[in-house]
Amino acid sequence: MNAFSTLTETSAASTKRPRNHIHDPAWLRYLLIGTALIFLLGFLFVPLAAVFAEAFRKGIDAYFAAFTDPDALAAIRLSLLTAAVAVPANVVFGVAAAWAVTKFDFKGKSLLLTIIDLPFAVSPIIAGLIFVLVFGLHGWFPPDTQAELLAPLAGVVRDIADATDFAFFTAVADWLSDPRIIFATPGIIIATIFVTFPFVARELIPLMQAQGRDSEYAAITLGASGWQTFWRVTLPNIRWGLFYGVILCNARAMGEFGAVSVVSGHIRGETNTIPLHVEILYNEYKFSGAFAVASLLAFLAIITLVLKSFAEWKFRQTD
Amino acid sequence: MEVPPNRLTALMSIRADNITKTFGDYTALDAVSLSVPDGKLVALLGPSGSGKTTLLRIIAGLEFADAGNGRIYFDEEDVTDVSPGRRGVGFVFQHYALFRHMTVAENIAFGLNVRRRSARPPRAAIKARVCELLKLIQLEDHASRYPSQLSGGQRQRVALARALAVQPKVLLLDEPFGALDAKVRRDLRRWLRNFHDETQITTLFVTHDQDEALEIADEVVVMNNAHVEQVGTPQEVYDRPTTLFVHKFLGNVNRIALPWRGLFAGAPLPVEDGYVFVRPHDIELVHLNSDLDGDPACVTDIHAAGPVAKIAARRLDGLGIIDIEISRANLALLRLREGDDVLLRLRRPPSPSTVDYTI
Repeated sequence: MNAFSTLTETSAASTKRPRNHIHDPAWLRYLLIGTALIFLLGFLFVPLAAVFAEAFRKGIDAYFAAFTDPDALAAIRLSLLTAAVAVPANVVFGVAAAWAVTKFDFKGKSLLLTIIDLPFAVSPIIAGLIFVLVFGLHGWFPPDTQAELLAPLAGVVRDIADATDFAFFTAVADWLSDPRIIFATPGIIIATIFVTFPFVARELIPLMQAQGRDSEYAAITLGASGWQTFWRVTLPNIRWGLFYGVILCNARAMGEFGAVSVVSGHIRGETNTIPLHVEILYNEYKFSGAFAVASLLAFLAIITLVLKSFAEWKFRQTD
Repeated sequence: MEVPPNRLTALMSIRADNITKTFGDYTALDAVSLSVPDGKLVALLGPSGSGKTTLLRIIAGLEFADAGNGRIYFDEEDVTDVSPGRRGVGFVFQHYALFRHMTVAENIAFGLNVRRRSARPPRAAIKARVCELLKLIQLEDHASRYPSQLSGGQRQRVALARALAVQPKVLLLDEPFGALDAKVRRDLRRWLRNFHDETQITTLFVTHDQDEALEIADEVVVMNNAHVEQVGTPQEVYDRPTTLFVHKFLGNVNRIALPWRGLFAGAPLPVEDGYVFVRPHDIELVHLNSDLDGDPACVTDIHAAGPVAKIAARRLDGLGIIDIEISRANLALLRLREGDDVLLRLRRPPSPSTVDYTI
């Protein structure tokens, strides 16, 4: 009732002043803003609060105990490793694709643009399944075939491993002689790269299109090589857009569930990422543990948003 | 007088030979040839879409002519296959294309900083060169500013300084003043002319603004529709246009239907049918009762605001309206009013090219 009287008061006041035809009437504005706020509260804020409330329900000790569990630690390690490979891979790919699309004219450009968007259009489950069909036991390149194809490379790496005595090379050689992609870390990384494919490229293409090619042309007429032009002119021009793309890509790489779930095989302590670990805990009725680990992802989301708005702010500043 | 900072020992001429460029079905340049004498300031003038910018970019090496026998020469050296960075051109873009993340000084120094170590001047020499150029463009106080903190005119001067830092042998400017407002445009135009007088660097600039080309260029190349229409000094192209397009593009023109008695008074009639093209200021007005021969017309409009009086007169034979420009002193002398009948005469016979006849 109170709200209603405030509304009528405002509309009465507005009739006294000359009517402003550009703005919507006050009641409509309040209605729209109110609706938006209720949605925000119901769909974003309450669930986020619930995650933290549930996580801390059994006290601080239980909360931190969830992270010291070896399986949880393994999941965190795997998620970090996946992001550490997938993000740089997609940065290289995204910058190269955006550079090619915006600075050069070639046949099949629109096809390339469409393909870049493919991972956004495909359901993550399908994305995972593709790799099972390609590299799985009954796929096009089953593990036997992979071992055959990689055998020469495995030999070379084995020689290097024997000569240098580095654990890393030994591990690589071991993997190459008995390659496992599906239900193993490589499959998780490949599926994550696929899913996060468009983030960097999609962020950079409109930006680089808007900037045009004149800066690069100017650098070239001044005698800069292609490499110098890229490092000294193109990259600094897109740095905040690139940063923006990287943090979105990272958030998705750490948080991806569907595609990873299909290729992972859910081997505890080995092929579980953070989101998969949360699911397992939840299904086993370990709610506080599930929410504690989930809160980690919620933190990641908040940090991502803070960095994102920082990038946007920097971006406007330099423009 | 101080020694010009950019005086070069050898000035270069530019020659474009038989250049054709197509984009799909669209022909931007159709077997165009052009030559810029060394030390001259030459304007490439034409409406948008005439191919002038494409030609400039091909000369710079930023665009390539269609395969064929089109060649670009600097002096007698064939640079068709030389990369833009090695051609020794300074290119200034219409929208400046400054490096936004670099200060003014860093922008200017860029061309020197990217050189191979063996060819790169020592740091102190680069700094000195930047200072010298900042002085030349009168922006000494702005060395550590970023392009976003400069006005349009200042940015364009920085772009020019950046191009000059590497001591190019020719300077190419693409619509250098196109993005600036009228006042800055005029100042910068004059500044460029003075700059050229001092440095004598061979300069080719693209513009669609007739006044700009006529005011500062030594020579004007008028382009239209992928062709060169006419080449000449500003006075030549303005006073003696060789094609209809040039006549129309450079200033106002009357299209006068023949026959017209007064037009050729004292001169032989080249044709009896068709049209002639005459500039408004090449027509004079005399009183109806004078003994001079002329064509009768009725004054319909007099605009005396501005340096010249603009008069519109309807021909009494009903063959159209003619625009005339006379000095305001002359107007006062004639004591003209709207509605007066007058005789129209040509001050000089039209050149043959301005006759468009059908037999």
